[in-house]
Amino acid sequence: MTFFEWLQETPVALVVGQSWFPWVESAHVVFLAAVAGTIFTVDARLLGFASRQLRVSYLATQLLPWTWAAFIGAVITGVMLFTANAVSYLDKTPFLIKMGLLLLAGLNMLYFQLVTWRGVAQWDSGRPVPAARAAGAISIITWVGVITFGRWIGFV
Amino acid sequence: MDLNQFNDWLSATSLSQAIQLKLGAIPAIQTVHILALSLLFAAALILALRFAGRGLAAEPLHLLAVRFTRLIWVMLILLATSGLLLIVAEPHRTLANAMFYAKMIMLAVVIALTLWLAAAARQQHERTSGVHRAGAALTILLWIGIMFAGRFIAYYESF
Repeated sequence: MTFFEWLQETPVALVVGQSWFPWVESAHVVFLAAVAGTIFTVDARLLGFASRQLRVSYLATQLLPWTWAAFIGAVITGVMLFTANAVSYLDKTPFLIKMGLLLLAGLNMLYFQLVTWRGVAQWDSGRPVPAARAAGAISIITWVGVITFGRWIGFV
Repeated sequence: MDLNQFNDWLSATSLSQAIQLKLGAIPAIQTVHILALSLLFAAALILALRFAGRGLAAEPLHLLAVRFTRLIWVMLILLATSGLLLIVAEPHRTLANAMFYAKMIMLAVVIALTLWLAAAARQQHERTSGVHRAGAALTILLWIGIMFAGRFIAYYESF
């Protein structure tokens, strides 16, 4: 028995699969909407589309704690959904692409936080530097992809 | 013509047939629906947090409310359009489903609440009252309820 076969026979996996699935899935939608929506709001500021009157660092520090809180919720509910059908999810291409895009979104955020963010003082009130705008664009593309392939999982 | 006949007629229209037969059309429309929903929910959260005094205090309430209620209305138009296409594509799944009507009732209430909050914010009340804070909190609960009802359409038996 593989790890994933064992996983989908655990008590949590069984109860999610047998009765909680719609509830956990709905909660997953609520959390992912909060995550993606707040991230898109910050991305729009990085790209100069909106919230230009606010400093980038201000908008980010005001919104991102809520993004992280919702992200934790999305991960917990996502893992619960995964356990219910672990083996078959691993066989679904949209699921694997979604995980890859999540990883990409994370790496983009990490690079932005550790490298680009060091110079934030120079562009905090004005137009962000190209690296910051690129981070915003990559973020939008990867999160749109995460949601697209996430929805697709239910159709394969 | 009863609802069942109406749904039969609607699903036989050329638009409905086109969406049903185009592979990937339904998940694509649902994806647009979820993306618009995520922006709307973020705008509603930001507005509610501002009303509750929990964020973005640097921007005057009336300016913030104008920006984010505009985003809410634009996203609602996008949600209504994509939602209508999903109804046209699968009328039996939606129009004959109690969850769909629960969702629409909550939607009507949350729109009225948002209009009321936007009007209050425009009058530049920087110190929000308890009743506005409660109204803002209620909008978030309603949006969450709407998302649950929306997802439950897929699981709830049509009548």
